[in-house]
Amino acid sequence: MILKLLRQATPYWFLLPGLFILGTLLSVPLYKVIEYSLYDNVIIEPDPTFVGLQNYADMLGDSGYWSALFNTAVFTIGSVVGHLLVGTILAMLVNADIHPKARTVFRSLLILPWIFTAVVVALNWQLLLNPFGVVNYALQSIGLVSEPLDWLGDPDLAMWSLLIISTWRGYPFIMVSFLSGLQSIPSELYEAADIDGANFFHKFWHVTVPQLKPVIYGVALLDLIWTFQLFPLVWLTTGGGPGRSTEVLSTLTYRLAFVDFEFSRASTAAVTILGISAIFTMLYLINESRNRT
Amino acid sequence: MSNIAIRNLVKRYGAIQVLHGIDIDMQPGQFTVLVGPSGCGKSTTLRMIAGLESVSSGEIIIGDRVVNDLRPKDRGIAMVFQNYALYPAKTVYQNMAFSLKLARVPADEIDKRVRDVADILELHELLERKPGALSGGQRQRVAMGRAIVRNPEVFLFDEPLSNLDAKLRGQMRAEIKLLHQRLKNTIVYVTHDQVEAMTLADQIVVMRGGVIEQQGTPDEIFHDPANEFVAGFMGSPPMNIADAVVDKGGIRMGESVLACQIPSGVAEGDSLRFGMRPDDIHLCDGSVVPGVRSRVIVDLVEQLGTEKLVHFKLDGVPVIGKADGRAVIQAGDSVEMAFDTEQAFFFNPDNGGRIR
Ligand SMILES: Nc1ncnc2c1ncn2[C@@H]1O[C@H](COP(=O)(O)OP(=O)(O)OP(=O)(O)O)[C@@H](O)[C@H]1O
Ligand SMILES: [Mg+2]
Repeated sequence: MILKLLRQATPYWFLLPGLFILGTLLSVPLYKVIEYSLYDNVIIEPDPTFVGLQNYADMLGDSGYWSALFNTAVFTIGSVVGHLLVGTILAMLVNADIHPKARTVFRSLLILPWIFTAVVVALNWQLLLNPFGVVNYALQSIGLVSEPLDWLGDPDLAMWSLLIISTWRGYPFIMVSFLSGLQSIPSELYEAADIDGANFFHKFWHVTVPQLKPVIYGVALLDLIWTFQLFPLVWLTTGGGPGRSTEVLSTLTYRLAFVDFEFSRASTAAVTILGISAIFTMLYLINESRNRT
Repeated sequence: MSNIAIRNLVKRYGAIQVLHGIDIDMQPGQFTVLVGPSGCGKSTTLRMIAGLESVSSGEIIIGDRVVNDLRPKDRGIAMVFQNYALYPAKTVYQNMAFSLKLARVPADEIDKRVRDVADILELHELLERKPGALSGGQRQRVAMGRAIVRNPEVFLFDEPLSNLDAKLRGQMRAEIKLLHQRLKNTIVYVTHDQVEAMTLADQIVVMRGGVIEQQGTPDEIFHDPANEFVAGFMGSPPMNIADAVVDKGGIRMGESVLACQIPSGVAEGDSLRFGMRPDDIHLCDGSVVPGVRSRVIVDLVEQLGTEKLVHFKLDGVPVIGKADGRAVIQAGDSVEMAFDTEQAFFFNPDNGGRIR
């Protein structure tokens, strides 16, 4: 009896070290960040003072925080919408009935933006969008703009540029997810719709969208979670600037911590990111479990 | 109600030709069944009529229009698919109303037409359900309802019953037949089930390898097959067909000789293919049965209820005959079988053509 129990327990012994390391790596920083947000002068002073929720109160009175929150919302929603639009259109294009070789080539090419690391993406776009870069040169030579635009340096343009970069970088995930969804739609449904007199948009709305529905919501939420806390792409292109025009919560946190060395305030901002992400994650998990039943 | 005419229809997929120029005429209101073995091009033909496949060459005429270049929705057809192809996110009602909605039929008329059809097919209790919550037979009915609502000139069916169990299939078969009698639309129906073909059709088109082997009424196809393929394909169990040589006053298979009327045009010593349906080979069990008698050893008996299939060998060639369902007979018995050679068929051994 005991022997049997021991034997059944065997696999869990092997899991233990992994669980322990993972658990520690997750829970200790999490706990520390929350703890820091309740103190003043952490890390710098050996003996920080407990201030309760004072840091949170300060933050709510700080216009810099609110503008970062607003920018985060714009950046996140704009990016996810961009990913969905571009991803859906491209998924449908590469799902089209063309020569199989051409299809493979297009599919591989279009996944590329996803493969590069954020640093490479950021540097490339910086070069492209530079006032003396290719984009400005192209726009000028076709006569769309009369003088070069400072895409990343102009406060009115920076967020738009960031959204374009983020869309370019993030659409492949949506495209790939939708592509497998599209491939599982039986062609008979489209044929039945053809006979029923449906045009392209009818078919998209009445056949494609309902069939993708289970995928759309989950994928969009996942994308939302990732984009919401996205740091490197923003930091390495605009760095949150010019001014504070593209400052998002993640760059604000980083700046507070490693530029201003205000670790308590940084922790407070980080906890709000954590909280909002947790809400999205809950929504995602609820949706997943609902899909499974 | 429209007639359909197919003229020298050819279909190529790249270098592969799958239809080799077929001609079919269908009268208005006629029920035409396309049958043939898997891969013979039945579905391709039907889908070309529907406009789901392009025409490589030839013409398809529905009513008085050449429809080659018309879109499916402009051809006046409705189609029932093998897997039903119901819109999974729509209710039964919405499935049936969809085409009318797209055609901008006024809402109250849509409602009336959908409910009328639901009455015909006994669907009214299911109208608010989604297809996922229906049984196979119910889905089948909805698929038919969706087709009927549009009130098309022509119905196209591609193996609509093949996903149903045997009992339901029989039931739906009768329903389709009744529906046809009631609506009198022109119907093109694809199946590889020859019972469906025989029971439903006004006209049967037997296809093989992208060509038409024979077209005619079920009677003609069954009792007057044009060649060995059609004779062997229609009928279950299939016709017994074996090599034979023309002998004096009959034909010889190995050592056995069967007396029969030899068709004119063959001479003694010619080889041919000799065919007899199991229905024309009977156990001699006291009652008067017509035909030439031969004593054989029974290999196997299959009880079908009303009759028994008797398997035996005639000079090494396996043959199936029939006995009454109550006949007392078992494997190993030595019995006399009567061959009604009046009903025999003869085929050319080289091209399978019928010798009359
Ligand atoms: N897209 C395609 N490309 C190449 N060949 C095809 C294509 N579609 C069908 N074929 C070929 O055309 C032939 C006829 O196919 P079809 O579907 O009409 O057969 P069928 O008579 O309906 O058979 P089944 O009873 O199995 O449904 C087959 O040999 C098939 O392999
Ligand atoms: Mg088929």
